Amino acid sequence: MKEKKLGLASVIATGVGLIVATSCLLSLGQGASAIGVTIIISMLIACVLNILTALSISELNAIMPNLTGGLAQYTLACMGPFVTVIAMVGGYLVCNTIVGSAECAMFGNTLNSVLPQVNIPGNVYCVLLLLILIIVNLGGVDIFAKIQNIVAYGLIISLVIMGLIGCFKIGIGDTVTQPAVISSDFKDITSLCGLTFFLFIGCEFIIPISNQVKDARRKIPLGMVLSLLIVMIMQTFLVIGFKNYTNWSDLGESATPHVLYGTLLLGKAGTIWMAIVSILAVTSSINTIISSLAYICDGMAKINLLPSVFMKKNKKGAPYVGILLIGGSMILINATGLSTTSQLSFLILTGCVFWMITYIIAHIDVLILRRRMQKAPRTFKVPLSPVLPVAGIIGTCWMIYNIASDPAVRIQIYVVTGIIFAILAVYSVIWIKKVLKAKLFEPFPVKDVMAMENELYPVFHQEKYKIKKISNQAAAINKNI
Amino acid sequence: MMELSKIEIITSMAKVNALQEAFGQFGITGMTVTQALGCGVQLGTKEYEADKNTSPALLPKQCVMVVLPTEDVDKFLEFVKKELYTGHIGDGKIFITPVSNVVRIRTGEEGCEALTEGKL
Repeated sequence: MKEKKLGLASVIATGVGLIVATSCLLSLGQGASAIGVTIIISMLIACVLNILTALSISELNAIMPNLTGGLAQYTLACMGPFVTVIAMVGGYLVCNTIVGSAECAMFGNTLNSVLPQVNIPGNVYCVLLLLILIIVNLGGVDIFAKIQNIVAYGLIISLVIMGLIGCFKIGIGDTVTQPAVISSDFKDITSLCGLTFFLFIGCEFIIPISNQVKDARRKIPLGMVLSLLIVMIMQTFLVIGFKNYTNWSDLGESATPHVLYGTLLLGKAGTIWMAIVSILAVTSSINTIISSLAYICDGMAKINLLPSVFMKKNKKGAPYVGILLIGGSMILINATGLSTTSQLSFLILTGCVFWMITYIIAHIDVLILRRRMQKAPRTFKVPLSPVLPVAGIIGTCWMIYNIASDPAVRIQIYVVTGIIFAILAVYSVIWIKKVLKAKLFEPFPVKDVMAMENELYPVFHQEKYKIKKISNQAAAINKNI
Repeated sequence: MMELSKIEIITSMAKVNALQEAFGQFGITGMTVTQALGCGVQLGTKEYEADKNTSPALLPKQCVMVVLPTEDVDKFLEFVKKELYTGHIGDGKIFITPVSNVVRIRTGEEGCEALTEGKL
């Protein structure tokens, strides 16, 4: 049994590290340049809605503890395989691939901003980085296993320091005199909630460490909520810093707002500092995405939600089909040459819609399990249920409705999302009817979903499937004779 | 005389230590733990196995027996359920029965007095 040694500080550090990504800074820069410091109100709304999601996920973890597939497994037990496959498996994989591609583009943009004299397009850097990470992952080597946390914390500490320096106007650069508020219209503020939602995404990734945490039932929900609040405070400092040191228009146009801010705040030293930290953070994040999504595909194949080809491992033990598929998709997206702020924002917002849908499903899962397993002991319960989960559902739907301020962009996002969901729905129906031979909307019993987590489950069940197949073949041969 | 209840908890071997450490907070003054073999409705089938056993397979378990005032039972059960819950098959069962009396043989004290540290 693993020793439970992680405390609340470790939970918060992990949470903040997982929530903050370099591409978040692009969203922050874009949002702040559009309406000024009133973006903080939009951030607050997005933060509150993410806290509601954190509470719902904590309750799901309390009733179905320590599941590696997380939201997919909760949904399989609540709504059956159809919703699980299209929204959770497909949606989650697709949105992570999309968001990962945006994060990767930040790598190219950062290198271009610090090496303007080298005339190489940003997407060439991205494709090269992806190729290297695919090869490394195929080799079964996690180059970032030991420094992943250090890199993430490096980014966070750098942002906190930069934010505070900017906030208190103690940078070596010239301060800028400009209006703090560009728009205080509530409609403008709410139209940016989709963008600010992205700043707080990812607190559910804390769940997998819960079995290593002392007093996890109290510290995991608390850690998730505190992580979100800390991110909120950190980003608030940055917005005020932006106001003091960067022109709103320059900030909105920059594809690397963190490097621009670092330069204007601390000169060349700021440029180098932010560039090194963000390049390491981006590389680490993309490596994690490729590796973890490949293992999620492996896990989904184990419970029969994806083809068994995803379980195949190479000689080094790496799930190579998933690595090639996820890495390959990211190369294709990045090869299109995306790099401008509008392209990246579009990609981020599209990924956000998928993510928001999974969060809505998490709230619905809580309500379903409250009804279906009323008496099951829960070490954590969402307070004021069903009010808070319902508020979470309504709020997140409202954010999807406000995903972009430009109606044309919004429609484009809905079209892309709709097409991807339609493709996933076709796959889902065929897969469930032909392979899984299950009813589309019939939930799996909770005990079965919990059993699927056991490493021996696929071994025993595939054995049974093989025996059944052999006996069917034997019966057919006998019949012919 | 204060009403008493007997709680018998059948659970996996690994869980007893956690219960043992936490029982003090409920004013429980004694407990009896027995090693047992048994099975439930699954007839000892492991949760990952594809086919249910046709004949019972007895699995090693621990049976924890405590007696406590009936008024504390609900709070105690709430604690035990949360402590033992993993969501997996085999978490165990709790049996609650009324106790008509308890006698401490050495002193002859009865009821609640027999369960607490007496003066005699």
